[in-house]
Amino acid sequence: MATAEKQAELLEKLKNAVIQYDEDTAKEASNEVLAVGMNANDAIFNGLVSGMVEVGKMFEAQEYFVPELLMCADALYAGLDILKPHVQQMDLGVRGSVVIGTVEGDVHDIGKNIVKMMFDVAGFQVYDLGRDVPLDKFLEEQIRTDSDLVCLSAMMTTTMTGMKKVIDDLRKKNPNIKIMIGGAPVSQDVADKYGADGYAKDATNALKDAINMIGSLKKMKDEAEAKKAK
Amino acid sequence: MNGGLRDELLEQGAAVVGYAVLTGLLGAEIAHLDRAVSIGVARRLNEDTLGILTRLQKRAVRQLKAQGYRTLALPPDSDRKKDTFVSKLYALFNHKMAATSAGIGWVGKSGLLISPEHGPRLTLATVLTDAPLTAGVPFESSRCGECTLCRDHCPSRAITGAEWSRGNPFVELVRLGECRGHKAAKRQVAGKPNCGLCITVCPYGRKIENYGNANAKRCEESVA
Repeated sequence: MATAEKQAELLEKLKNAVIQYDEDTAKEASNEVLAVGMNANDAIFNGLVSGMVEVGKMFEAQEYFVPELLMCADALYAGLDILKPHVQQMDLGVRGSVVIGTVEGDVHDIGKNIVKMMFDVAGFQVYDLGRDVPLDKFLEEQIRTDSDLVCLSAMMTTTMTGMKKVIDDLRKKNPNIKIMIGGAPVSQDVADKYGADGYAKDATNALKDAINMIGSLKKMKDEAEAKKAK
Repeated sequence: MNGGLRDELLEQGAAVVGYAVLTGLLGAEIAHLDRAVSIGVARRLNEDTLGILTRLQKRAVRQLKAQGYRTLALPPDSDRKKDTFVSKLYALFNHKMAATSAGIGWVGKSGLLISPEHGPRLTLATVLTDAPLTAGVPFESSRCGECTLCRDHCPSRAITGAEWSRGNPFVELVRLGECRGHKAAKRQVAGKPNCGLCITVCPYGRKIENYGNANAKRCEESVA
């Protein structure tokens, strides 16, 4: 096991690799993490995700724009791909599996992919249907995978209406399922009217929401660990 | 710093390096990165052109970042990785536009970037940045002149023979459908879509002694 200093140094390196959108360094640091036998969970949450949280702040402060945000996400994935196989299943007390996709007629999937990334990071099992997904496919996939969360995305007002049908179908089969919708034309009003449980306005908001979500997951994990320690 | 980066890239295997100011020419998403380092590598058989370009790009990115500037590296069109986030932005950008703006060359009748020294035998990559680079003198119009070799040799008759100029960017130079159709047919027959006659025949940058072809010499004269 590595010393505390070495661990802190590697976490810092991972964090900076994401902020500096440096894929090579992210890969290098992730391999080092594995080489010294550090906890992969720790490296993801306190390294890669800390970096992404910082990026979210910079984006809000308009220091970073869309290209930087996307490159940072690529750097995060570069590290995550290496670390993920070594993650022990987290004992979060929530069963995480989610179906996600951009609805029929719509090919805009940057926001969806960022939300997906945060689910990936959080250790959810993600079933990504991609973009321009036929409406029936969502229900089919939800039943097949028995997922407890379905996320729908649309960027255009013309395709947004398709989400209503998906939500109705899902509710008919399974009233307890959680449904999140997102995309430029979506608002709280729309979410209420369509009967969705949550909504995210665009990629940035989705990122913020997803970070909050992961923050609360992390808290739950800490609590679970504290309980175990007692 | 301007010359330093260029010299370094040239030393490391770039055939041409130019700087461009692209203010007002870019989509909103990338408009804040309005300076470009345009890098061209000479295509040679049996050489890892893409590998060289990738290395050069990384070097430029490291240099610029080390000085505190932002960068966005755009890979050559033939090397777009589809599953990354940033690849969504590649469609917003045109390497030839950066190269003509940087004064590396013009767009020939074949629709390819033609540099005076290397002709159409360059593979291009670009690094966008906000570093205050001093731009080269842009090319505003084609220097193909009366030469129509590429049009005459095109097996699919895709090249219209029209001339490019920056002021009139929507002129159809190449009927892309026909070029693509020819390559698809070729792929079915020969297994590979190879064509590239428009590159081979272009007199600019052509190494005449390698061909021993009197015709080529004549073409060069007609262009000159």
